[in-house]
Amino acid sequence: MSGSLINHVFLQILTGLQLGAIYVLIALGLTLIFGTLGVVNFAHGALFMLGAYFAVIIAGKFGFLTAIIAVPFLLFIIGIIMERGLIRFFYNRPHTDQILVTFGLAIVVQETLKWIFGANNIPFPLPRWGGGILKLHEWLPFLEGFVAYPKWRMILIFVSLVTVAALFALLQFTRFGLIVRAGMRDSEMLRFLGINITRRFAIVFGLGAMIAGIAGAFGGPVTQVDPEVGMAFLVPSFLVVVIGGMGSLPGAVLAGFMLGMAISFSAQYSAIQQIIIYLVAVIVLLVRPRGLLGQKGVMEE
Amino acid sequence: MSNGAYFSCRNINAYYGESYIVQNVSFDIAEKEIVALLGRNGAGKTSTLRTIARAHEPSLKSGEIYLDGVALHEMRTYQAAQHGVQLVPEDRRIIPGITVEENLILAQTEGKPGWPLERIYQSFPRLAERRRQEATTMSGGEQQMLAVARALARDLKLLLLDEPYEGLAPVIVHEIEAILREVKKLGITTIIVEQNALAALKLADTAIILDTGEVVFRGTAQEVLDNKELRDQYLAI
Repeated sequence: MSGSLINHVFLQILTGLQLGAIYVLIALGLTLIFGTLGVVNFAHGALFMLGAYFAVIIAGKFGFLTAIIAVPFLLFIIGIIMERGLIRFFYNRPHTDQILVTFGLAIVVQETLKWIFGANNIPFPLPRWGGGILKLHEWLPFLEGFVAYPKWRMILIFVSLVTVAALFALLQFTRFGLIVRAGMRDSEMLRFLGINITRRFAIVFGLGAMIAGIAGAFGGPVTQVDPEVGMAFLVPSFLVVVIGGMGSLPGAVLAGFMLGMAISFSAQYSAIQQIIIYLVAVIVLLVRPRGLLGQKGVMEE
Repeated sequence: MSNGAYFSCRNINAYYGESYIVQNVSFDIAEKEIVALLGRNGAGKTSTLRTIARAHEPSLKSGEIYLDGVALHEMRTYQAAQHGVQLVPEDRRIIPGITVEENLILAQTEGKPGWPLERIYQSFPRLAERRRQEATTMSGGEQQMLAVARALARDLKLLLLDEPYEGLAPVIVHEIEAILREVKKLGITTIIVEQNALAALKLADTAIILDTGEVVFRGTAQEVLDNKELRDQYLAI
């Protein structure tokens, strides 16, 4: 391969990872909540959006570092309140009811933000340490000439990967994780074993919201911060969940980055780029109706 | 109020959706007694066990359930389990995707633990060999052992065995029978539901026969074995 082609492919991969990073984070929460609680949370985009708004406001007043600590925590609390206050009453209702109520909640959040902050994009300035570019050719010898990439976008990829790793470690190596993984497979049996799985699942909802908050705080500077951004990210993220396989966390990660790549590599063909994620979804679901890593029995009763 | 029996259900009615599946069932069990709950398919045996274990479905509409003086009917599933009710469900319900040992650890996560893992592994050497194996890759018989072991891993006052021999080859059934005879020696109060009524009666002190959700007979296990008319009418054995 010629040097310029390598450079081009490498940059497209980075862009794919960066685009995928936000989808992955939102989809992880969605699929985690679906896999444990069986609820399709259409308000998850709104949680991401709240994360972005909170981050702008807190960063403006107290600095960005405060924001990235406070926002995930705030979203965790909001997630728990949302689950205890509303979602739990819909566990035994059909998926359509759950979709209607969460979709309604998303619209309430959206309109409230519009009412308070207006419909326009709020500028989200990067912190001083996060601006500028990274000269990648200085670190990666296989790149030729001058290859640079915005530092913030690299940070976004990094944060997304760290969050994924932290979530997998939590689920794989802790007692809490064992209970949640087991609960995803057979929550009733855990109740027969004396485990209050409902309490764990409320925490899971909080974690899903928290991850959406992380996506909002770090993704906000590269997306828009306006009242439509929640819905704009919900649909592709939901597709990521379906392509990855409902309830499958590795599936969400794989599909999220895959869609990011698909968008990135189709960038020069703008007509295709508009529909590429739907095209990928159709092909994947035709070949594998349960999605890439979906398990038998999920949403099939 | 509890009527003094170690375990008692009083007029329990439970339903799935609109249809009653357990109707006015009442019976008492003494401490350490082993009861075979018998009846044809659809007589409400599994539903009765699930009602006692306070499963979400069938939901308990009315009636009272007491174990050792405590009102189970006021409890949720996990609370009943923490109070010592341990259901070994139909199809065993070994949790997939995790190991044998993780299945046992989950049983000891909340509430008082029963047997420590070392004791379980001494009593079930096959589980010890396979402790790191994904539990659902074991044979049906081994999974049934694990299901019983998982119950013993908890501090239990009432063991509910739902079809412990179902789907097992005859030679494996003998193995599980031997295990349950050992469990019987522990003096754990037990209700066993089993299609194979003869196998259940071999183990039990007492037999209760259900028909269309109601108790139609209560007597000793031997009485059922001796009463051909009763067996023909309700059990077809």
